[in-house]
Amino acid sequence: MTTQSCGVPRYSIKEPKSLSPRIQWLRDYYFRGNDRKWNNEFVGFTTGTPWDIQYQEGNYYIVPETYTFFPTFTGAFQQASFKIELAEGFWEWSLPERHAWFVKEAMVYYLPHEVLPGDLIAGGRFNIQTSKCFTEKEAGEYSKATYGKQGARAAELWFHNHGYGNAGATSGHLIPDYPRILREGWKSVHEELNVRLSTLSQREYGGKKGAQIKAMLVAATMARDVAFEYSSVCADLAAKEPDPARKAELTKMAEMLRHVPWEPARNFWEALQSLWLTHMLVMSEENYPGPGVSFGRADQYLYPFWKKSLDEGMDREFGKELLKCFWIHCNYAYDAMIRTGGNQGITAGFGQLITLSGMGKGGVDLSNDLTYGMLEVIDELSPLLEPKPNVRLHRNSPDKLLDKVVDMVASSQGSPFLLNFDERSIAGMLREARMAGVEKFINADNVFDYAPVGCLENTMCGNDRSGTVDINLNLLKAVEHALTGGYDLIAWTDPMTGKQEKLKPWGAATGDATRFKAWGEFWNAYAAQTRAIIRRAAGLYDRTDNIRAKYFRTPYLSCMVRGCCDKALDVNEGGAELHFVTIEAVTYATTVDSLLAVKSLVFDSKECTMAELITALKDNWKGHEVLQARALHKTPKYGRDDDTADDLAKQVMDLWTGETWKYKAPVTGKQYRPGMLSWNYWVGDGYVLPASPDGRPKGKFLSNAICPCDGADINGPTANVNSVGKVMGGKAATGPGDWDGYLSVLPNGASHTITFNPSLLRDPEHKAKFTAFLRSYAENGGSALQINMIDADILKDAQKNPDAYRHLLVRVTGYNAYFTSIGRELQNEIIARESHRM
Amino acid sequence: MKIEQAPLPAAGAEDVPRPSARGDKALILHTQRLSTEDGPGIRTTVFFKGCPLSCAWCHNPESISARPQIHWMEVRCIGCSICVKACPHGCLAKKPEGIIRDRTACQACGKCAAECPADAQEVLGRETGLEELLAELLKDKVYYEKSGGGVTLSGGEPLMQPEFCVNLLRRLKESGVSTALDTCGLCSKSALEQALPYTDLVLFDLKDTDPVNHRRWTGQDNRRILDNLLYTRDFMAAHPGKALWIRTPLIPGATAGRDSIERIGHFIRDNLGSVAQRWELCAFNNLCRDKYRRLGMDWAYASTPLMSRQEMSDCQEIARGCGPDPAKTFVTGAARVEN
Repeated sequence: MTTQSCGVPRYSIKEPKSLSPRIQWLRDYYFRGNDRKWNNEFVGFTTGTPWDIQYQEGNYYIVPETYTFFPTFTGAFQQASFKIELAEGFWEWSLPERHAWFVKEAMVYYLPHEVLPGDLIAGGRFNIQTSKCFTEKEAGEYSKATYGKQGARAAELWFHNHGYGNAGATSGHLIPDYPRILREGWKSVHEELNVRLSTLSQREYGGKKGAQIKAMLVAATMARDVAFEYSSVCADLAAKEPDPARKAELTKMAEMLRHVPWEPARNFWEALQSLWLTHMLVMSEENYPGPGVSFGRADQYLYPFWKKSLDEGMDREFGKELLKCFWIHCNYAYDAMIRTGGNQGITAGFGQLITLSGMGKGGVDLSNDLTYGMLEVIDELSPLLEPKPNVRLHRNSPDKLLDKVVDMVASSQGSPFLLNFDERSIAGMLREARMAGVEKFINADNVFDYAPVGCLENTMCGNDRSGTVDINLNLLKAVEHALTGGYDLIAWTDPMTGKQEKLKPWGAATGDATRFKAWGEFWNAYAAQTRAIIRRAAGLYDRTDNIRAKYFRTPYLSCMVRGCCDKALDVNEGGAELHFVTIEAVTYATTVDSLLAVKSLVFDSKECTMAELITALKDNWKGHEVLQARALHKTPKYGRDDDTADDLAKQVMDLWTGETWKYKAPVTGKQYRPGMLSWNYWVGDGYVLPASPDGRPKGKFLSNAICPCDGADINGPTANVNSVGKVMGGKAATGPGDWDGYLSVLPNGASHTITFNPSLLRDPEHKAKFTAFLRSYAENGGSALQINMIDADILKDAQKNPDAYRHLLVRVTGYNAYFTSIGRELQNEIIARESHRM
Repeated sequence: MKIEQAPLPAAGAEDVPRPSARGDKALILHTQRLSTEDGPGIRTTVFFKGCPLSCAWCHNPESISARPQIHWMEVRCIGCSICVKACPHGCLAKKPEGIIRDRTACQACGKCAAECPADAQEVLGRETGLEELLAELLKDKVYYEKSGGGVTLSGGEPLMQPEFCVNLLRRLKESGVSTALDTCGLCSKSALEQALPYTDLVLFDLKDTDPVNHRRWTGQDNRRILDNLLYTRDFMAAHPGKALWIRTPLIPGATAGRDSIERIGHFIRDNLGSVAQRWELCAFNNLCRDKYRRLGMDWAYASTPLMSRQEMSDCQEIARGCGPDPAKTFVTGAARVEN
């Protein structure tokens, strides 16, 4: 507001700052992307059998863009893989032992070990695609279960093509017990496994349990042996290094890699080195780089090392230098298919989340000097995607933290900065504990140690392997089926043959909707169809979960997930103490608004009959523009803090979440639970699902996660937030609710994005207002918030797509205007002017 | 000194409104939630319709008339002509340039807006009940509390509907919500007397202290405005915890000059002293050009560009050097783009 801000253009591209030449070079080198000679592209490894398989397509059933490439990837990795000389007796070992040995062999002896110039953390390449080590018989069975006419792939394609969404047992998305490795070293894991092996009965020893523990014992030495290799590399580099300072660093690294991660870390540098190697190998073993393998509360468990090193004289800036090296390493996950997507990997979203701050027991804030150190690192390196910071906020978050966060949001320009809200999140975690009867593992004494994985999926640390993104279900499919009595509105046409499928009653038999006399009848039909789509989604998921449990083992990861050693089960078999599978509901607001539109247009105002509405939808609204406009503009919508609309929204929520709790995966015993995250499905599936009663034509985006539909939140961010908080449960009228008065029906969290005009953050006074907004969010809002600043790009997009931005207000002192309703010429002025605000 | 002819008031203001005596309903234009520019903290601003001034530069022309009006939002129109058929008075016609409204015949009955499927015909000004409005305002109470914000009554001139305003302010205070009143100052003293006990902050618009200029630019004398300002000063001074902010529009060729700014600054220094906690000078903006067009009103400032950054800086320097505490004096708004 003052003239001091006059000279600072608001939309200058954020530049990294305070980087040493070392970090500047490492960062620049990373961003050279495809031009780099060195990269971390997938390297395939094969047993050499003709039936070998590397590519585990089930991991990508939740990524519809990849479906077309399944045969290509499967074949290409097979062809391009390097053969590993198998140990004698390899084929006599059990599947988990074969796999543990094979991955270790690849990482220790085959994949090159390299240290980039100046790097202070060792652990370069980790992206591999390994043989699944199948015998011919196993390969045959797996192929039939996966590629066969009745196989999982065909079922997946059917499910997606028919607009239900997608489902598949997916890797990653957990927080391994890293703190234990830092504290006790892999040595301790190895010892525990040996003890466990000795307690097995003779029969167990020779059976499945023994095989699993033996596989884990092999895996438990992988990080040590990889570290030894890097130690040698560092020693060789040191010998050749002319610069004495660098020579000393490399010598030190060579020494430390003989120690960690096998032994406990003795200082901050060792802790970071141990953490990186240990973490990187999870991605190697799962052949799954990045997505969701998260660090948890790193500012908490690294803090003792940070403090000790500072006390012993480590320069704080050198501590940050180490962190910056670590940060850059995380980004190399994106190299996996760097040639396929050009530099696309750099802009894509993976999600090794790192959690900062948050409350401890009794609601005390746990921010420490390392929390701020890490925030400084993020700020100074920004923009850089990985690891994705997730800051946990709560009622007692200190002003210092909020001020720093708001400053970073103000300058982040939409780079991912996720805020998690403890009270609502903890309420959800305790609800899932109650619903699943696992209070032993999640309770008031330990729930504070939760952390998000992937995007915002709340998870316990070190003992929780949940399928946090494994089922993505379009709730809207139930509206379609309620309109038709269980048939697809438009028969699916095979794009290859042009052949149209015969309509079949895939959904529940809810009868002819055109004969419904009252809204209640339609609601009942919707409810029956919702139950039917959830049953179908669970059935499909269970198949993929069974395949994974049977054929894919990750003994290395299992070493770091509590429960696996005790049960002598792999995480993929349900070994973890906690294992849920989340149904992430997609199209929530589109579904709610569609139901509101049916109620309003057909039953309340009687603007049209049910038959007319169905015809309009079949015609994709063509020739029915007036009805479409009414559906879009004259019906209530979710997201406006309008209690009538939000009450129906809550009914929709209670219905599908209640139904979800009824399911349990048969082989692994995973309890189903609800969450809301739509990744990018809300865009892509908009081309799959037909027109919807809310006025949306086929081909237009669906609603994103728990957010209102684009342009529907005409009452601004506070109304939007209040609606979200209400449908997640709000607060208990009396009593403690799920926790401290809060309720949450979405234990896995809900993704909520709000867009703001940057002028809201233009000076300290306005930043303070924004801080208060975040404190209010903790009271009224959901579990997680991502903040977007309306920048010139968004305004330009609004020019192109005025319908999606009808209610975008441009606020100027004492005056506001709908951006899309002002003349083009003035719009251009505003776009240009955004950088000239006082 | 020759008194110059004032520019004609804008078309919507021809019926100079009279205060409404109703206490349970008011004509409300819009409520703006997460309002950050109308007082401290996070606020909801209620825009009342109807204003006794007709400032030549008015940024909110739809707030001048105390009667509902209807405008046609071209970008929303789907061209169905339903509004044309719906109008019981035959005021609407579809022409190549769009839907044309005969404003002499239009009684703003709202039929066209009710029937328009796309919300392209929009009624400006809705009769709103006290309880309904209060319920809406209380939805954001948490945000007010966390931010030190509250509710601001703005317009138009809220005190054109004094009974309602007083009731609303009282009910808000009873509900524990902090209140602000954004007033142009042209209202009866009794309205102020009744409103101020329930008002925590007054945002007082002071356009000019010179009576000739004031009449020229706003169509009204400023004597009562200044009287009311002094009354407000005394009231605020006598009631600790209450605050007064002064707001001045910076209009090129009218109020954005050294003389005008210094006049006001001196007035604040000499008369308001420490009671005025802040002086906001709001730069001219022309975003409302399309609103004038849609309301069929001419606007003397239609082709006036935004102030340059230099002009804004100059104004700020003048304002900060003429008496009031420079640390509490701010120029706000957008500068024009210069290459």
